[in-house]
Amino acid sequence: MNPQANLTPPKIPLKFLRWFCNDNLIEDVEGDLSELFNARRNQNQAWARLLFTVDVLLLFRPGIVRNFQFALRLIKYAMLRNYFKIAIRNSFRHKGYALLNLLGLVVGIASSILILLWVDNEVGMDKFHVNGDKIYQVFRNMKQSNGVVTTTGTVPKPLGDLVMAEYPEVSEVARISWPVDLNIGIAEDVAEEEGRFASKNFLSLFSFQLVAGDKNNALNELNSILISQTVAGKYFGDNWENALSHSLRVDDQYDVIVTGVFEDIGDNSTLDFDFILSTQAFFNLNEWVNDWGNGSFYTFLSIDDSEKARIVGSRIFNEINDHTEGNSNAGDETVILHKFEDTYLHSNFDNGVVSGGRIDYVNIMTVVAIFLLVVACINFMNLTTAQSNKRAKEIGLRKVMGAQKRAISTQFFFEAFLFTTIAVLLSVLVVMLVLPAFNNLVDKSLFIDFTELKTWYFLGGVTVVMGFLSGTYPAILLPAFNLIESSKGGIKQPAFTAYLRKGLVIFQFAISTLLIIGTSVIYKQIDYILTKDLGIDKENLVAVRMEGDLSKRLETYKTELSRIPEITAVSAASGNPINYGRSTSSASWEGKDPTEGYEVKVILSDEDFIETMGMEMLSGRSFSKQLTDSTNFIINEAASKLIGFDDPLEKDLSFWGIDGKIIGVVKNFNSSDLYEPIAPLIITCVDPSRSSIALIRIEGNIGEALIAIEEVTQKLNPGADFDYQFIDQAYADIYENELTVSALATIFAVISILISCLGLLGLASYSAEQRSREIGVRKVHGASVSQILILLSKDYSRLMILAFVLAVPFGYYLTQNWLDNFEFRTALDPFLFILAGVITFVIGVLTVAAKSYQAATVNPVNSLKHE
Amino acid sequence: MGKYSIGEFEEVVLLAVAILFENAYGISIKKEIENRLDRKVSVGAMRTALNRLEDKGYLESEFGEATAIRGGKRKRFFKVTPYGKMALEKVMETRKQLWEAIPAIAFDFKFV
Repeated sequence: MNPQANLTPPKIPLKFLRWFCNDNLIEDVEGDLSELFNARRNQNQAWARLLFTVDVLLLFRPGIVRNFQFALRLIKYAMLRNYFKIAIRNSFRHKGYALLNLLGLVVGIASSILILLWVDNEVGMDKFHVNGDKIYQVFRNMKQSNGVVTTTGTVPKPLGDLVMAEYPEVSEVARISWPVDLNIGIAEDVAEEEGRFASKNFLSLFSFQLVAGDKNNALNELNSILISQTVAGKYFGDNWENALSHSLRVDDQYDVIVTGVFEDIGDNSTLDFDFILSTQAFFNLNEWVNDWGNGSFYTFLSIDDSEKARIVGSRIFNEINDHTEGNSNAGDETVILHKFEDTYLHSNFDNGVVSGGRIDYVNIMTVVAIFLLVVACINFMNLTTAQSNKRAKEIGLRKVMGAQKRAISTQFFFEAFLFTTIAVLLSVLVVMLVLPAFNNLVDKSLFIDFTELKTWYFLGGVTVVMGFLSGTYPAILLPAFNLIESSKGGIKQPAFTAYLRKGLVIFQFAISTLLIIGTSVIYKQIDYILTKDLGIDKENLVAVRMEGDLSKRLETYKTELSRIPEITAVSAASGNPINYGRSTSSASWEGKDPTEGYEVKVILSDEDFIETMGMEMLSGRSFSKQLTDSTNFIINEAASKLIGFDDPLEKDLSFWGIDGKIIGVVKNFNSSDLYEPIAPLIITCVDPSRSSIALIRIEGNIGEALIAIEEVTQKLNPGADFDYQFIDQAYADIYENELTVSALATIFAVISILISCLGLLGLASYSAEQRSREIGVRKVHGASVSQILILLSKDYSRLMILAFVLAVPFGYYLTQNWLDNFEFRTALDPFLFILAGVITFVIGVLTVAAKSYQAATVNPVNSLKHE
Repeated sequence: MGKYSIGEFEEVVLLAVAILFENAYGISIKKEIENRLDRKVSVGAMRTALNRLEDKGYLESEFGEATAIRGGKRKRFFKVTPYGKMALEKVMETRKQLWEAIPAIAFDFKFV
């Protein structure tokens, strides 16, 4: 043998041989082939390989091939073709049923696809950062004077510095500011953009992609600016490199150099911005950030693993309090860490502990999606089994021809899978059709991403699971039919199948009732929120942002505005009073416990505030122009309670170094959303020029008033944007989430009841058919149409009532749970439950009655003549 | 052919196994047939025939030693069973009878 003796035969044919060859033969067959190969190889290697392959192929013949039951397979394949044909013929013969079936499945699957797209989008928020699992956000728990802890992401700058210097577990500390609006442009060509300040390492910690510039040192200089593709496109065209090292002017004050262009921030990021400036530039201009008592930018830590994060979390907890002892500006504050990826869905903090947030809605909607799928499955099962009598002859004949039970269950599984496959395909079509409208509703840009593997997993999964769920019951039940009875055509289904069908109907309608209860409670709460007396008259109230130095000329502005006939009152404030966040912990009064740090909200305003807002004084007086009130304060009830004087009027109060007196107590008004209790609050008019919005009360034609306001604003402040907002609209915007969810819940409650009714319609017509002779006999004996209607509807009415009874406790528990999130909430009204019950009952009974009426009006001759 | 059913190719293979006696395994049988009868035999056809013969009980087989040239696989040596011998004899006998039954005139082609 030559040295190449060990050269092996070609691999692929060999593998093929090993795969198909009978186990008893493989050893010496392979041996023979190898020997042949080796003999031939000595003459011509390529030829030997080819012959080897030919030999393997020639070996692929009965007798050599292992026992694959190949023959059996072919029979099965032929049977599948037969099943397919029969399924199609059957659907065409019973078009109504097939349509109901398909419609139910399509609506159910399409709805759940829509919901899950929404859920997937919510869950995918902020998940694109490569280092996402290492980023932790720092939050500050501030103990409020009413004992409630509020949590904020604004963190004192020195805390971040300390962590960077002294915490070995933390590899990076990045900061980013809240959104700021700045005028950015070249020379006269200026536009207002929303952006943020960010620290140098922000870009390396988070995965925002640069299309031009260097991620590692783009923010090194104080005068660096990064802009989005949109902004870059405006000034420098589409070649992003062109934008680099050009200068832009910010707020007509600072010149900055473009050092990078980043991809426009997508919808999947909670941090959004059109430009980034250096945090250091901001810090240099704002001394206050160096105080441990002042919250500044959002702070993110990069920590390698959760164990280290735990260590950091426990060490950092008291860091602020340890550094603010004796600092009059500081309250009682603790620090917690929260994984950045989770902050979008878990954004509610209850007494300093994460307590849900959007995740609640995500969970609700996921459950709704599953419910809809289950309801659609139940339909399919019920309709198939109800209809199975019509298949009795077929099954009987198949059995006579030698079909085993297994073959018949295969047939019904096949039919179920066929139907679900068609339904899934149609659903995808339907989803694509309604997506634009749905996107409008939820204010997102969702789409089915077919390049994404999980889309296919989901669609495949739904097909398999739905096919299996809806096919199992018929596939078990039908083959069990007695041969003789079924070939005669009449078959008595076992009693339990009727019970099971009824049970499933109850379940379906219980789910629908539950959804209606949930929807109506959400509606009622939202209605309560929107119509609640906030303590502020929020109707016909416009807030106009005062840009530039307009607030310095507040008096002129107010006088000009008052000349407009539709305007009844004008005031100014440092923010929207119904969603207000500015606070201090430096307030002190006689008898205050010096060891307790309290946060008290402070509204900076002017003398007309109380009147313009339509607030009500509880005691004392409002501010007055005649008296010099610049160091006098008005507090709210909550503050009065906190301070604890029996009569707070004329008592001393000081904060921010201003010493003054309390001259009035205003009735509590909601200065934050209704999830929160009302916080103590001080109103001062010490310096009206520090206001940022003008609050304008309008009466009469709002359109004209707005035009006039804009005119005045533009005249006094040429070049600035006219930015206004109706306070009631702004208020409703806070609850956008809740509104979206309530809209979604309504739609899907309707869909759920629709699907249930489709199923019910099928069942009702089935039972009407079953009892057609009974009805005929009854009519012959003088039963009236209405008696027969009642007879037929009675059974189903009972099911509806049972469904209602089942739904109520769950409904009560779930809705009460949700309402408990709100500090201000509507009471659960038994009427809502009854209403939900009545709606489902009426719809269900009407469905049954409509079908039954058809059966009841048939001439008995037709139904009896076959006897 | 009564209880001894055997095909033409099977008969050839069976005879080849008998000729090779103690050295009858896949390749040697194949070569034997190819050399003696001057016809191509594919591994597949021969293999199937061997299988069938073994199933019918005309052949029995046992494994021999593994060799490197066979990729470490053992040879399967075949041996004709007494029953196989009876089958061959029966075939031969039947043929003989048939030959004998042919009238002499049938093969007298002179006039054609």
